[in-house]
Parts: sequence; C-alpha cells; structure tokens
Amino acid sequence: MSAGDLEKHDVLSCIQCGRCTAGCPVSIRTTFNIRGTINLNLRERKKWIQPQDIWSCTTCHTCASRCPKGVGIVDYIMGLRSYQVERGKIDPAARDALESILKHGNPWGRVREKRSDWIGENKVRILQEGESTEVLLFVGCTPAYDPKAQKSAQALSRILAIAGVDFAIMGNSETCCGNEVKRMGELGLFEMLVEDNTNLFSKYKFNKLVTISPHCYNTFKNEYPNLGDKVIHYTQFLVELSEKGKLKLSNDNEAKAIFHDPCFLGKQNLIYEEPRTLLKAVLKEELLEFDRNRERSQCCEGGGGRMWIEVDSDKPRTAEERVRDAHYYGAEILATSCPFCLLTLSDAVKTAGLEDKLQVKDICSIISPGEGEKDGQT
Amino acid sequence: MNSVVCIKRVPETAEATLKIDPANRKLEVDNLVFGINEADNYALEQALLLEEEFGGEVIVVSVGPPETDEIIRMALAKGAGRAIRISPENLSELDPYSIAKLIAHELEDEEYDLIFTGCQASDDGFSQVGVALAELLGIQHLSMAVKMETEEESATVNRELEGGLMAQYKLNFPAVITIQTGLNEPRYASILGIKRAGSKEIRVVEPGSWNEKMVELNKLSFPPPGKMAEIFQGSPAETAEKVCEVLKTKGLL
Ligand code: SF4
Ligand code: SF4
Repeated sequence: MSAGDLEKHDVLSCIQCGRCTAGCPVSIRTTFNIRGTINLNLRERKKWIQPQDIWSCTTCHTCASRCPKGVGIVDYIMGLRSYQVERGKIDPAARDALESILKHGNPWGRVREKRSDWIGENKVRILQEGESTEVLLFVGCTPAYDPKAQKSAQALSRILAIAGVDFAIMGNSETCCGNEVKRMGELGLFEMLVEDNTNLFSKYKFNKLVTISPHCYNTFKNEYPNLGDKVIHYTQFLVELSEKGKLKLSNDNEAKAIFHDPCFLGKQNLIYEEPRTLLKAVLKEELLEFDRNRERSQCCEGGGGRMWIEVDSDKPRTAEERVRDAHYYGAEILATSCPFCLLTLSDAVKTAGLEDKLQVKDICSIISPGEGEKDGQT
Repeated sequence: MNSVVCIKRVPETAEATLKIDPANRKLEVDNLVFGINEADNYALEQALLLEEEFGGEVIVVSVGPPETDEIIRMALAKGAGRAIRISPENLSELDPYSIAKLIAHELEDEEYDLIFTGCQASDDGFSQVGVALAELLGIQHLSMAVKMETEEESATVNRELEGGLMAQYKLNFPAVITIQTGLNEPRYASILGIKRAGSKEIRVVEPGSWNEKMVELNKLSFPPPGKMAEIFQGSPAETAEKVCEVLKTKGLL
C-alpha cells in the first residue's frame, strides 16, 4: 500500500487508539489485528505491507463505525486485498468464487440455467425484456441456489402474491450484484458487474427494486449509479405494505424469538426497526433481544468473502457464540433477515449441538412458513 | 528457463444440460460456459512458478477458435509472456495426433526447456496431445505428473500409479510433462490484469483445412440409463442406516 492509498482512506489520521481492534469480531479468534496492520503500514510507508490475515476481515464495519477519527478502515482493507487480487495469489476458495461469478454470474459454481429453479410450484412472473412491473424482486445468488436460503425467496414471493403486489423477477438473466466481489478486492470484476447489471436493469421498467439480501441492498443502494431511490430491503417493503393495510399480519406465532441484526442491514445501512416491527407483529410473546443488538450486533462472519474463505483458528466461530447466546436468552427461534446470516447461524446451531432447541429463520419464512415448516421443522 | 504451455478451451459440462447436435458429431454449445481445461490450468501455474524461480519466458499455445483468446488472455494476465493461437478451419474434426502435429509445427523455431500440457482434456478425455507432441519433437516425456522438483537442466517428477504407488523419475530437458490437477495452486487472473494483458502478443496461425488425423469420431451419444445406482427410500435416519449397512458389507466402515 502506498502513501497515496493511506491518504485516500484517511489512514494518516489514525491515532492508534485501538477501538477498531477492540470491536473487531475476528480479532478474538484469529491473528488479525486491524490497528496493528494500520500501524505497520504507517511506519513502513514506502513498503507495501499486505499481511495474509487481512482475509479474516468480514467487512462488517464495526471498526469504522467506532473509529473516532473516521478512518475509512474497510475501504483501506479492500484496497489491501485488491493488491493481492492483482497479483493473483489469493485463497483458492476466494479464487473459485470469483471465477464462478465471472463465468456463471454466481459465486456458488452453479450453472445459470438453474438460477430460477427455486420457483418450483410457486407462481412467480419472469420479466421479459421491455416489460414492466411495479416491483422487481432481486433474488440474489444465495436465495437462488442454496436449498435453505431458497425458502426465503419462496416465502417472500408467497407474501408478495398474497398482498397482491405486482412483482416479477429477472429469471436466469439475473447476475451477481458484486457486493462481496468488491469486498474481496476484485475491483475490476465489480466494475464489470455494475456495468452489466446497469445494462440489464435498463431493459425493464420497474418502480422498486426489492432485495432479499442486505448485501445486494447495500451495493445497489450505495454503490450503483442511478438506482438509489428505487432500492429497498424486503423488510422495509413489507412494513410499507402492512402500514398500507395490504399485508395483514396476525400475532399468532407462539414461539420465543430473538433477532440478529445483519451487519449489512444494521450497522451499514441503519435499518434496525423494520425487521423488529415485522417480528413484533407476528409474535405472540415479546421479541427477545441480544445484549449486543442493533449497532453493537455481533457479526456472524459471513461477509467480505468469508462465506467462502475459512480462517485459521482454534476458537469457535462467532456465529457459534451467537447461537449459544440466543439459547441462553431463552429463544426457540433465532430470526434474521440475511441469507448469509441464515446459513452461518444454521451451521453454528449444528456445531453447538442445539438442533433440538433452536431454529434459525429468515423473517419472511416466519411470516409465511412453507410446507412442513409450520410445526417446527426446517 | 523457457516453457511452453498448451492450453485448451473446454465447455463446463458438470451441471449443464447437454445436447448433441443432430448429426451426432458434437455437443451443442450455445447454452454452455467455457473455460480453461482444469489440468491445463495447473500446467500453466507450474510454468509460471518456474519462470518466477529461474527467469525466462512462458509461451502459451492453444489450438482453437477465436473465442479461445478469452482463456489465452487470462494466461497472459497471470504472467505468460506471449501466445500462439492456431485456428484451422476444420477444428471440430481434429484428433489428438493432428493437434499435436499443428503444435509441433509452430514450435519448430521456438526455444524451450519444457513443454507442459494438462494430463487430460475434460471434453474429449484423450490424454494424448502431450505424449504425441513429445514423439513428434523427438524429446522425452512424462505423463500425469503429481509432483515436480526442478533444477536448471533437469527435473525430478513423481507420477502416481494405481494402488497409491508413487514412481519417481528424473528427466533432462528438453521434455514434455503432462500435469495432473493438484500439483500446485493455480493463481487468479484479475479482470484488470486481463485488460492490461490486452497489449501482449497473441500470434494467430490459420493453417486452413488440416487433414493429418489418424482417428475419426463416428458418433456421440448418451449412454443408455443403467441400473448401477440404487436410490434408498425412507426417512433420513432409515436411509442413513441403509448406507451404513452397505458400507459395512463392502468393508469400508
Ligand atoms: S479506531 Fe480509528 S483511530 Fe483508533 S486505531 Fe483504529 S483506525 Fe486508528
Ligand atoms: S470490518 Fe469488521 S472484521 Fe473487518 S476489521 Fe473491521 S471490525 Fe474487523
């Protein structure tokens, strides 16, 4: 990293207070120390210091939101990663995810022709070029392909249909949003995806772009040109529908539930209330809260490429700590509203041996449970 | 140390729905995604690692249509110095011998210590181009290398044999080595790198129609559905029990 890059991200104003590392979810379980990395780069300004452990970072933004000097810590980490990406020597799992996005438009190594297989029996309109819809539902790669996350896409489309919303998807033409690509430092591929997707969006007419994943939401909202106002996360949209009386929510769910704030929804986009409003509307009992909630929510380690990149550690994943906490607070359902959180937390329930006691569910699946999910199965 | 790496653009067929064209001679490729043949990617990485250690140049050679430039540019982005693309008119009719002959012809004026190929192409599975190329050039070869220790003018190469046996050979350069997957960890070609590699040379050779082949493809077809697989029915617990039973009776548990 050169002196220019350090200036660009305000790294020179760092006072080495250490608040970043103190809040960093991975500093407790890996060798990664973000304050230390900054320190090394500040002292050795002419050399490019790019320690391998920057790949532990989940780009959760806890550090940046706590930094008293406004250092662009996450952008700086993406910058460090981009140097390694340029040299090509990156974690093989990150390489495979990126290559898959280039080839297939998704990081999961799956073929494009199966992207809308999740629809199954559900009635979902696939938009053709030139057609218009009130709501364009951006499914996202994980809800499109992962069997567990597909349930969120199915649940949300059921809810939208019941509420009488004019909505449609782009079918197999939909392509990765690039949020994780940028965070893995593959800035060239990110630019390419922005261009491709901007072209794709221009072929359809829509008033709202609803995303299932907060990660897609984040990049469309904050990093794409001319999309900003149209982009809305599904939790926000469902609250809108319920306020307008189009979506009736009844509080007949008797489970005890706790909500886990996804980093890309909460910390990074300040959407804290809508998920809670929805949960409170369907739960009979009071919604439980973690001690670490809202802007203090603990990252599940699913962001920044960490869905693919494993790190060296003999300590349990933070997701495991999170599910143990959920159980400690007496929750039977750990609710979230992000496909990555859904997967990391579901895995953690297994490693923590809590399968019989705790279920992880996306809020839309709580509002509209699918076949066989109503009686507590997932 | 100068290396030549032969790479091939192949369709990814693992999950895709395959269709055979009406003349039964080739795959319909419209819905398929193409990339570098997996083993060739490891071959390329091996050449790049040697260049980093010993200096010299990596030259990429590929026989294929103009679209092959996509994978060639990736190889150039990863560090290959220049490339040769050979595009005869009757590409789909070529056999391994005719491909090897085309490559051998282009390498006549090149100086190289090593020629790498992948051990097998994932589309036609011939595993022959590397070996035939060595014969045509009159140099030594080793196929299916899983490990390689290189010195200035020779290399010690391991080949994995059936039953987990490992055979080790020493060979002097020049030589052809066909590389097995897993020998190294191929690097990533970034998009900016690929764009920058646009300025590197791809020499295009168009030999017209090329009729040197020894074998001809008669027909391409799907195998008739067999009875090799038994699908267990029942709850997860029941099916897991049945699987355990089978594994036990086969002595695997
Ligand atoms: S919190 Fe900000 S100022 Fe403090 S050490 Fe981290 S980057 Fe520097
Ligand atoms: S973004 Fe999150 S994981 Fe990355 S350094 Fe900051 S606090 Fe740590």
